[in-house]
Amino acid sequence: MKLRMQITKENGIRFVSHLEYMRTIERAMRRAKLPIAYSKGFNPHMKFSLASALGVGITSQAELLEIELVKDIELKAVLQNLAEALPLGIHVKAADVVDSKTPKLMASVAGADYYVQVPCTKDCLEQLHSFNTAASVLFQKPIPKGRGKTKEIEVKKFITQVTGNFINNNLELKFSCKITPTGSMKATELLKILRDQFAVPIVVEQADIERTDLYAVNAKGAKKALIGKSNFI
Amino acid sequence: MRKKISLDILSTVEKPARYTGMEFGSIIKTQEETEVAIALAFPDIYEVGMSYLGFKILYHILNLQAGVAAERTYAPWVDMEAKMREHALPLTSLETMKPLQEFDFVGFTLQYELSYSNILNMLDLGGITMLAAERGEEDPFIIAGGPCVFNPEPLADFIDFFIVGEGEEVMVEVMNLYKEWKKAGKPDGRSEFLRQVVKISGIYVPSFYEVEYLSAANKDVPMGCIKEVKPLNEIAPAIVQKRIVKDLNTIDFPTKPIVPYGEIVHDRIMLEIFRGCSRGCRFCHAGMVYRPVRERKPEVLKELARRSIDNTGYNEISLVSLSTADYSCLEPLIHDLIGEFKDDKVSVSLPSLRIDSFSVGLAKEVQAVRKSGLTFAPEAGSQRMRDVINKGVTEEDLMSAVGAAFANGWSHVKLYFMIGLPGETDEDILAIANLAKAVQGKYKEVTGKGGAKVTVSVSSFVPKPYTPFQWVGQNSLAEINRKQMLLKDALKIKNVTYQYHDSVTSVIEGVFARGDRRLGKALYLAWQRGAKFDGWSEHFSYENWLKAISDAGLDKDFYATRERAQGEVFPWEHIQPGISRAFLWNEYQKSKSGELTGDCRNGDCVGCGACPTLEAKIIDWKSNAL
Repeated sequence: MKLRMQITKENGIRFVSHLEYMRTIERAMRRAKLPIAYSKGFNPHMKFSLASALGVGITSQAELLEIELVKDIELKAVLQNLAEALPLGIHVKAADVVDSKTPKLMASVAGADYYVQVPCTKDCLEQLHSFNTAASVLFQKPIPKGRGKTKEIEVKKFITQVTGNFINNNLELKFSCKITPTGSMKATELLKILRDQFAVPIVVEQADIERTDLYAVNAKGAKKALIGKSNFI
Repeated sequence: MRKKISLDILSTVEKPARYTGMEFGSIIKTQEETEVAIALAFPDIYEVGMSYLGFKILYHILNLQAGVAAERTYAPWVDMEAKMREHALPLTSLETMKPLQEFDFVGFTLQYELSYSNILNMLDLGGITMLAAERGEEDPFIIAGGPCVFNPEPLADFIDFFIVGEGEEVMVEVMNLYKEWKKAGKPDGRSEFLRQVVKISGIYVPSFYEVEYLSAANKDVPMGCIKEVKPLNEIAPAIVQKRIVKDLNTIDFPTKPIVPYGEIVHDRIMLEIFRGCSRGCRFCHAGMVYRPVRERKPEVLKELARRSIDNTGYNEISLVSLSTADYSCLEPLIHDLIGEFKDDKVSVSLPSLRIDSFSVGLAKEVQAVRKSGLTFAPEAGSQRMRDVINKGVTEEDLMSAVGAAFANGWSHVKLYFMIGLPGETDEDILAIANLAKAVQGKYKEVTGKGGAKVTVSVSSFVPKPYTPFQWVGQNSLAEINRKQMLLKDALKIKNVTYQYHDSVTSVIEGVFARGDRRLGKALYLAWQRGAKFDGWSEHFSYENWLKAISDAGLDKDFYATRERAQGEVFPWEHIQPGISRAFLWNEYQKSKSGELTGDCRNGDCVGCGACPTLEAKIIDWKSNAL
C-alpha cells in the first residue's frame, strides 16, 4: 500500500531547499509514527519520493508525495498524527491510498501550473502576446553541474501560453509547464526569457512564484489528477 | 517599525533558510502572552548556534514560564549583513521577527573569546546602544553567560550584567524579578533594576565594581597589574559565586528541541548525561569551572531519550558531556538505548572517546557505519609532557586503544595534540611524530600489513583563567610557528596527515582569555574597523587586532606571553567557580615536577574546594548503587 499526499510549501519556508524539505518530511513522518517501509542494507532509508523537485524560493500548493507503507493504515487517524507532526509552513491538502503496483508518481507527473506576481514598470500584455504567438522560442539552459555550459532547448515544447494581468505596477502571470522524462523548465527561466527576449521589464529576483498544481495528462492531453480528494481534510 | 526582509534579498544570500525560522518546535508566543521577552543571542551563524545545547535548555526552561517569551537570534553571515545595512533592516529574532531593540533582554552566550566582535556587531545591527553606561530606558538589558563568563572583564563595558554558572534556576529568578519590576511600573528605571537583580546569587553587574591598577611594581608584580577590585556600593557582593544545579535529576531537560530544516553542525538529539569532569587535566578550563561531577540517573536518561526521539523524529542520539566514557553506567545505558531504539532505526553516538580499549569496544558497538576514523586525544607526545598536564594516559594506554581499534577493522585514527604547553622542549614536540609512527607500527603488528592512516591535529595551547596554568606565559607567535614547522618536518611520513591551526588567532584568544576591562576599548576599536567572525580564519585580521590593542594603549604581550607571579591579583578573581586558588597554585607546582593528581570521583578528595564552596556533592550512580 502506498500513501499519496498533496502538501504545501508555504511562504515562510520557501527558501528551504529541496533536500531540506525532503528531510523535514521524513522527520515529520517519523514523529507521526507512520508504518513506513525502509530500504534494506547498511544505511536504511525511508521509501518515499516527491513527484517533482521544487526550486528554492518558490511556494507550492501542490507538492505530491508518495510513501510506501509496511502495513495498512486508517487514513483519517494517520492524517491527524501527521498534521501535528508537520512544521509551520507545510500542510496536508489531500491524501489518498493506492495499491503498491500503481506506477510511481515521478513517472506519472506530466505538468505543473504556476502563478507569478512580479513588479513590472508597464503593461506588457502585447509582449506576452508575441510570446504566445511565436512558433519557436529558444533558450540556452544551463546544464546542471556543467560549469557554465548550456544546452539549447525549445521553450514552446514546455510552455505554450502565458496569460497575464497587469494591475498596480504588478504583473500577474499564469502558465502551465510540461514535465517530461527527459526534462522540464523552471519558472524563473521563463521569467528570464520574457525579460531578455520579449522586453518584459520585470525584476526576476522580486518575483513571487507559486506552483499551483501538479498533474498527469490523459491520452487527449487533458489534465488528470494524481490524487483523490479526501473529504475530511 | 518592522520591515520584512524582501524576496530579492533572501534569494541572493547564501542559505536563506537561516533567516526565516518557522522550524518544528519553535515557540511563538503572542504579545498578550508575553510579559517579558528575551532574545537568546548566539554570536555566530545559525548552524553553529542551533547546535548549542545550553540554549536548547534555556529556550525550553524559559518558555515553560508563563509570561516569558524566549526567542532566538544569530549573527547574520557577511552577505546578509551587507544587505541588512544597505536596506536599514535591523537584526531580529526568528520567532516574532522583532528587532533586538524591542526585547526586554538580549542574552548572549560566551562560548569563545573570538566571538566577542560578533556580539558588538549584533548589538549594532539590533539597534542597541553599544556601551552599557550610555543605554537608556528604551534599551533592553544586555546580559551574558556561558564558559567565558569566568573572565567577563573584557566585555564589562558592553554587558549590563552577567549570569555566572548554570542558568536553569537563576534565569527564571531574573525573569520573575523583571516581571515584578515591570508590573510596578519600572520604578526608578534601569539602574534600580540592576540594584535589585544583583541581590540574586550568581549575578555580576560589572558597573558596580571599580578596578584599581598598580601605578608602580609591587615586588614581583609589575606595574599595570590589578591592585584591587572593589564593589562601589554595599549591595554588590565582593565575590560572585557561580550557580549550579545540585541535582540534574530534579530539573527539566528539553525533549522537544527545535528541529531545523537545514543541516546544522550537530544535527541530532543531544542528551546531556552529566556535568563536570574531575579528571583534572591542568590545561582544561571546562574541567575546572564545571565541577563537581553530577550525573543524571540512567532511568531518567532513558525516559528523556524516548521522549526526544518521539518528539523530534531524529534518528541519532548523542550522549554528551565533558567526558562521556566516564559516565558510571555507560555500558548498560548504551545497551538499553540500542535495544530500545533498534526498530526505530535510531543510532546512538558518542562525541568523544577515552584512550582505552573499553572506549573502543563501545565505539564498535554504537557505530553502524565504520568508514570514518576514530579520534583520540593524547594531548601531548611525550610521557613527561602528559604528566605535566595531568592527562593520566600512558603510551601503553594509547597503543592498546589503537590496537583494539585496528583489530576491530578501523584503519584510520585521528590524534589530537597541543603545542606550546608549559615547559615544553623540542624533544616533547618530536615525540608527537614518534607517537604517530608507533601507531602506524601497531597497525602492522595487529593486521600484518602497512598503510594505517594517521591524522595528527595540533592546536596551540592558550592558558585560561581558573586553571593551574593561569600563571603561565603563552608561547610567542614566533615560538609557536617554529614548533609547528619543526613538527611539520618530523611528520613527513607516508600516510600521516598533519593539521595545524592558524597561530595568530591563538594570540588574540590568549589576550582576551586573561584580559581585563581595559581591553573593552581594543574590542570596540577592532569592531569599528571591521572585526567580525574572528573564529573564521578567512575573516580574522591579525593586523587589525594588533593595531586596535596598541591604539587602546595596551600591550598584547602583557596579557598573553607574560608569566604571572604567585601573588598577582587577576582580573577575574571576584567571579568564582568554586575552585580554590591554593589548589590551582599547588597543581601548577606539581605540574613542574610531573606529579600526578588523581580523579576524586572514584578516589580521594583532591581538595579543589568546589563541593564545600558550592555546598554540592559528586553524584555518580555506580557508587550510589553500591
